[in-house]
Amino acid sequence: MSSSPTEPETASTLVDVTMPQMGVSVAEGTVVAWRFEIGDRIQADETICEISTDKIDTEVPSPVGGVLAEILVPVDTTVEVGTPLARIAVSGDVQPSGEPAPDAGPPASSDAAPPPSPEAVTPPTSVTPESGASGNGSPLAPARAASSRRYSPVVQRIAAEHNVDLEAVPGTGRGGRVRKQDVLGFIESGGAQAQEEPPMHIESPYRPDPAPAAQAGGQLSRMRRQIGEHMKRSLEVSATCTTWIEADMSRVETARKRLGVTALAFVARASIDALREFPALNSWMEGERYTQHSDVNLGIAVSLGDDGLIVPVIHKAHELSVEGLAARIRELARRARSRQLTPDEVRGGTFTITNPGQYGSIMATPIINQPQVAILDFEAVIKRAVVVTDDQGSDSIAIRPMTIFGLSWDHRALDGALSAQFLASVKRRLEDLTP
Amino acid sequence: MTTLTYLQAISSALRDEMRRDERVLMMGEDIGVFGGAFKVTDGLIDEFGADRVMDTPLAESGIIGTAIGAAVVGLRPVCEMQFSDFISCGFDQLVNVAGKMHYRQGLAVPITVRLPSGGGFSGGPFHSQNPEAWFMHSPGIKVVAPSTAEDAKGLLHAAIHDPNPVCYMEHKHLYRRVKGEVPDGVFETPFSARVARPGQDLVVITYGAMVHTALEATAELEDASIEVLDLRSLVPLDEEAILDSVARCSKVVVVDEANFTCAAGAQVAALIAEKGFEHLDGPVVRVATPDVPIPFSPPLEQAILPSVDRIREACRELLAY
Repeated sequence: MSSSPTEPETASTLVDVTMPQMGVSVAEGTVVAWRFEIGDRIQADETICEISTDKIDTEVPSPVGGVLAEILVPVDTTVEVGTPLARIAVSGDVQPSGEPAPDAGPPASSDAAPPPSPEAVTPPTSVTPESGASGNGSPLAPARAASSRRYSPVVQRIAAEHNVDLEAVPGTGRGGRVRKQDVLGFIESGGAQAQEEPPMHIESPYRPDPAPAAQAGGQLSRMRRQIGEHMKRSLEVSATCTTWIEADMSRVETARKRLGVTALAFVARASIDALREFPALNSWMEGERYTQHSDVNLGIAVSLGDDGLIVPVIHKAHELSVEGLAARIRELARRARSRQLTPDEVRGGTFTITNPGQYGSIMATPIINQPQVAILDFEAVIKRAVVVTDDQGSDSIAIRPMTIFGLSWDHRALDGALSAQFLASVKRRLEDLTP
Repeated sequence: MTTLTYLQAISSALRDEMRRDERVLMMGEDIGVFGGAFKVTDGLIDEFGADRVMDTPLAESGIIGTAIGAAVVGLRPVCEMQFSDFISCGFDQLVNVAGKMHYRQGLAVPITVRLPSGGGFSGGPFHSQNPEAWFMHSPGIKVVAPSTAEDAKGLLHAAIHDPNPVCYMEHKHLYRRVKGEVPDGVFETPFSARVARPGQDLVVITYGAMVHTALEATAELEDASIEVLDLRSLVPLDEEAILDSVARCSKVVVVDEANFTCAAGAQVAALIAEKGFEHLDGPVVRVATPDVPIPFSPPLEQAILPSVDRIREACRELLAY
C-alpha cells in the first residue's frame, strides 16, 4: 500500500482537532454540523465544523491544512472540552533515513494519534476504492478500537431488548468491557431509543384530509428549540404573576437626548437602584433553594431577528453609570447580532430587562428567565394626555411621554406587594431624575 | 425453639426419630457404648438399647449391606460412617445394591448414611475428604449437605423419612462451631436451596462448611451486593433456585471444598452454562480444593482448602470483569 518503498517521500502526521474551551464556565460542547467529509482537503483556519454550548453557536477552525482523515464525534453528540473531534492528515517530508519506512505493523495501533500511520495519510487521489466510495462510513471502522469489543450474553440480551447500540455504551469493566451495570445504567439514563409500542388494535381505515400545504416550515432551528424549552420550563416551575405600573418619562426623554443614549440605559440604572433597595428580586430560585445576590448582573434581551433572541449579561452592572450601561448595552447587542458572544457573557444573570417597545406595543407579560425571580418589560414610550398636579395643587391635563412597565415575578419567591413597591421605586427614580 | 450446635441438632434429630418411629435403628462403629467418634450418638444406647443402637464390626460394606436388607423388609436404618472417607469400603453396597434396587426390583431402600466429612483440622488424607460427588454421579441416591443447625436437624428428618437411600453429608468442622435456633420436635427441611444472604451483583453458590467461608469472604466487599446461595441438597439439585440467582446477579462464583475435578460445583457450572447462558455477564468462576489429597500439615492444608481470601479475591476479580 502507501507504505511501499515507491513513495517514501510523502508521509503524514495526524493532527487532532479538539473541542475548544469557549469560556471558563463551559465544560462541554455539542457538534452541530460538519462542513467537510472524510477525504476532503481543508485549509488551515477554514471552519471544519460548527459547535454549540447551551446558548452559543460557534465555528471550529482547522488548526492545520491537510486532508480530513477521521471524524470522531458525530453530529448532535456532546463531548467535553479537549475531546478530539476529528483528525487531519498533514502531508510532509519523511525524516531523512536511508531505509524505506518499515511496515506499519498491525493497523490496530492507528488509534494512538502521534505516530504517523501510513494508511490514514493517503491523499484522496490514491484512496483505495472501498474507503473512498462511501463518505464517512467505512473509513471510521478500522480506527475504532470499539469494533473489537465483545459482549457477554446478558449484555447482548439486554441491549437487544432495549434497542441499545452497544458501541455507544461506555464500559467500566476490565479493559473497557461493557458490563451488565453499564448497559443498565445507560438505559436508565435514557440512552436507549424508546422501543416502539406495538399497536393495541388494528388501525382505523379512516384517513383525515391532508393538511393544507405549508408556505414555509420544516425543523425548528436549534436556537428556537432551546428558547422554546427554556420558556416552557420557566412557566412550569415558576408561579408567574405580572404587575404593571405607568411612568412619566418626560425627564428621561430630556436627559437621554442630552446624553445621546437610549431610554433603556436609564431604565436599567433605575432598575439596578431599585434592586439594591429590594434585593429580594435580585435572586435565584433553584428548586427549593433561594439565593439573594449582592451583585446585579443585568440581562438585556436582544432580538436576533428571525433567528430568535439572546440575553447577554452585564456583570456587576451596579458599578456602571447610565453612560457606561448604555455603552455596554450597545456593545453586547452588536456582539450578539454578529454571533460573537462567549458563553460566559450569557451566564450568571440575576435580573433581566426586555425592551421590545420599538414597534409601539405597550404591554406584555414576559416570561421569567430561570432561575431568576423577576423580569422587567419596558415597552413603547407614547405621548398621552394625563392629569398633572402643579405645586399649588391644581390639576390640569398635560401631554406627557408615558410608558407602562410590566414586571413578571415568581410568586414562590415573593408577593405582589413587593413587586408593586419595586415598580413604584423604578417609576419614582425615573420621574424624579435630576437632569 | 432451642439453641443447639450443629452436632446437637443431629443428635436431636436421631433421638426424636427413634422415639417417634420404632422402625428407626442405628448402625455404626463405636456408636453405642462409646457414643460415636464425635459423640453424636452419645447416650442413645442408654435410652434405646443395643438392639437399636448397634455397634458393628469395622466393615462399612457389612454395615450398609445389612442396612439395605433391613430397609427392604421395612425398617429405616441410619448408618454412621465414622469418617466419610471410609464409605469407599461400602461403595459397592451403596452404589450398586442400594442405588439400583428400586430400578431392578421395585423395592424401596429407605436408608440414611451419615457421612462426617470435610477437612480443616489436620485430619490428613483419610479423614478429611468430601466424597459427595461420587454419589451424585450414581443414580438412585440422594445427597444432602446441611450448613446450619436448623438444616442439620430438618434435613436429617427428611432423609430418614425419604423412601430412597440418602447420603447425609455432615461437616465435621461445623459440629461445634455452628450454633443456632432449632425448632423442637420433628420437622422436615425440603431438599432445595436456601438463599443464605440475598444480593444483586454476584452470587456465590456453595454448600456445607463453605457457606460460612463464603459469607465471611463476601461480608464487606467494596459496595458490592453479593448473594450466597446454600444448595443444601446436591441430589436433587435445585435448578430453579440456581438459575434464579444467576438471572438476578449475572456473575457466579461456585465454591467447593471438594477436589476441583467433577465436584458438585462442576455440575452447577455446567447447568448455568447450559440454562443460564443468556443471563451471564462473565465467566462462571470456580473455587475448589486442587486435585490433591488433603495434607496433614496444617499450613499445607490451609493453603489448599478454599479460604476466605481466595473466595474474596475470586469475587473481586469477577466483579471487576
